Amino acid sequence: MRRLGPYAIAVGGAVAITLAIALVTSSANVPGLSAVYLLLVLWIAARWGRGPAVAGSIAAFLLYDFFLVPPVGTFAVNAPSQVFELVVLLAVALVTSQLAASIRRAQAESELLAADSRVLYELATVALRTPQLTGALSMVCDRARTLASVSRFALVAVDFGKEATFLAGDGLTADEVHQAAWAYENKRSVGITVSDGAVKLMKTHPEVATPAYLPLASGVAVIRIGSARPERHELRMLGALVGLADLLLDRRRAALESERARGFEASDKLKAAILSSLSHELKSPIASLRAGLTALLAPQAGLQPEQQELLVDLDRQATRLDRLVGDMLALSRLEAGLELDKEPHGFAELVGTALYQLRSDLKGHEVAVDLADDLPPVEVDELQVGRVLTNLIENALEWAPATGAFAIGAVAGDSVLEAWVENEGPAIAPVDLDRIFETFWTRRARGSGLGLAICKRVVEAHGGTIRAENRRRGPRFTFTLPLARVTAHP
Amino acid sequence: MSGRVLVVDDEVEMQRALRAGLGYHDFDVRAVGNGEDAIREAAAWRPDVILLDLGLPGALDGFGVLQALRPATRAAVIVVSVMPGEKDKVRALDLGADDYLVKPFGTDELVARIRAVLRRQVDVSAGEPVVHAGDLEIDLARRSVTVGGRAVKLTPTEYELLRYLALHAGKPVTHSTLLRQVWGEYAVGDKYNTRYVVAQIRKKLGDDPANPRYIVNEPGVGYRLTSRT
Repeated sequence: MRRLGPYAIAVGGAVAITLAIALVTSSANVPGLSAVYLLLVLWIAARWGRGPAVAGSIAAFLLYDFFLVPPVGTFAVNAPSQVFELVVLLAVALVTSQLAASIRRAQAESELLAADSRVLYELATVALRTPQLTGALSMVCDRARTLASVSRFALVAVDFGKEATFLAGDGLTADEVHQAAWAYENKRSVGITVSDGAVKLMKTHPEVATPAYLPLASGVAVIRIGSARPERHELRMLGALVGLADLLLDRRRAALESERARGFEASDKLKAAILSSLSHELKSPIASLRAGLTALLAPQAGLQPEQQELLVDLDRQATRLDRLVGDMLALSRLEAGLELDKEPHGFAELVGTALYQLRSDLKGHEVAVDLADDLPPVEVDELQVGRVLTNLIENALEWAPATGAFAIGAVAGDSVLEAWVENEGPAIAPVDLDRIFETFWTRRARGSGLGLAICKRVVEAHGGTIRAENRRRGPRFTFTLPLARVTAHP
Repeated sequence: MSGRVLVVDDEVEMQRALRAGLGYHDFDVRAVGNGEDAIREAAAWRPDVILLDLGLPGALDGFGVLQALRPATRAAVIVVSVMPGEKDKVRALDLGADDYLVKPFGTDELVARIRAVLRRQVDVSAGEPVVHAGDLEIDLARRSVTVGGRAVKLTPTEYELLRYLALHAGKPVTHSTLLRQVWGEYAVGDKYNTRYVVAQIRKKLGDDPANPRYIVNEPGVGYRLTSRT
């Protein structure tokens, strides 16, 4: 009935106008009154579109022809101008209705768009404010399901690049979750794509009850389109909702990851704390061992040379154990994010301190230190960089041929000091040049395998780099340290 | 007998090992396991050196013992600890410890440290006005500094710092102590001040910071003038 109404009005209007014209022309002959029909057709076309307008113009023509154009009472047309009038009426009806229809369509479209964006805006505002991201995602799903053409809508989260789990929306079977995981893993949409912000159905999508899968940045949208020809604005709305879901899923992933990172950090701190107390427990007996073993080395103890030799060996093992415990603790503290106590230091003094600490090991070695007098100070944690230097010097000592020489040098760049420790020992295998800094990697019989790993952590904690290379005379370890910003003392 | 050493350590094995080790080096050794006994023994037995472990069980830890001992005894105190932080070392030194040693250590190293503090005690009690560190000579009475016989001209601040190190030759002196002693009780400044002055002194003494002969850096703690060798 609603559809026929405009046609009735069009025809009725034509009848009314014909009557009016008949009344007017019965008293006086007024030419060109047929133009009144144009007004009717224009109005009808603008109001109800092409169909009623065409009906109106045909009705008008027929009525006019039959009742008002002589010979009255026939449909005979005897003047070409009358054919022209009919054509004009029809043309006006068609063109106007076309124009009006497209304007109306555009208006309807923009109203829909405005409504859509208002809905999306409200949804996004609420969703982004909701602290519970799962709740926000449920809201998006609920909204998607209010669309007439969408019969199912669900979201699957894929956490940490694996572990697909149902998150929100209509329940999914295990198979469907599995299928979603597959779509995510292969980054392939099944049955559906999104382009220009609107959901597009794939032509190959069969008209069966299986849902479509759309992989997102950190999850999958599972959508079942119920109608065969869904409306365009619904698909656009769906596209926008999928976009919002994508955003929320990504936020959820970021939240999960930062939570996990905090967990790792806490566990690093815990590990360092446990190792700290464990180290204390381990070092006390080592202290007694070393004190006891070395006590017996005094000549007054009266031991035979071979017995003393054995004691020296044992003491060396105890020292190694102590070193290992210390290195493990140092490394775990660095991993837990040790706070550096950075201050300006002269690099020469740092080298001098390290050499002084190792003076008993250095006896008989030739140390070449090549440092310019005007080397600018570095901004470093004295104790940590001291550890780097002693580790590298000990490493050099181990590999320098007996009583062999090793060298320490440094040059200042724009913002960093480049320092190196080199020895004349055997070259490091090319494949090992990077691996040498890995935890527990060692080519030394006595090393803990942690010394160079500690060096790397300390240097990197200072924002520097460390590398190993083979030079003609032997291996060289080069590292950089930041220069102190203030070079002149007040 | 080269001296009396009181060992304060709660580990019986450690006590026994040190008694044996130091005994072989002709020291007269007694050992106690807690702070109260340490204070009593220090007063009764009058040791020359006290080897004090910072991690003592009970109410009185190493720092507490150090505080109680300091005004009462002239014994040199060597603080011993497993994994001391630099703050612990500084605190112990500021409370009057003469030196510190990190556990574990070998008997040789311990004996060397004990001999060094004993020698210092002799020098101080003799009121020796001239302090030597290698060919460096600091005449405290005449306020003159020479290296290998060559006179070195120092500014008053530089001399004060070197003098304080010389008065405690062989002993690590903390940055805060140096600041207080050289710049006064209300000195505003930080470690960088002492580092800068030490760098100047080294330059004038011809001491290479990369291979120091006279003034040695104690990382995170302060400086030490090497004792005569």
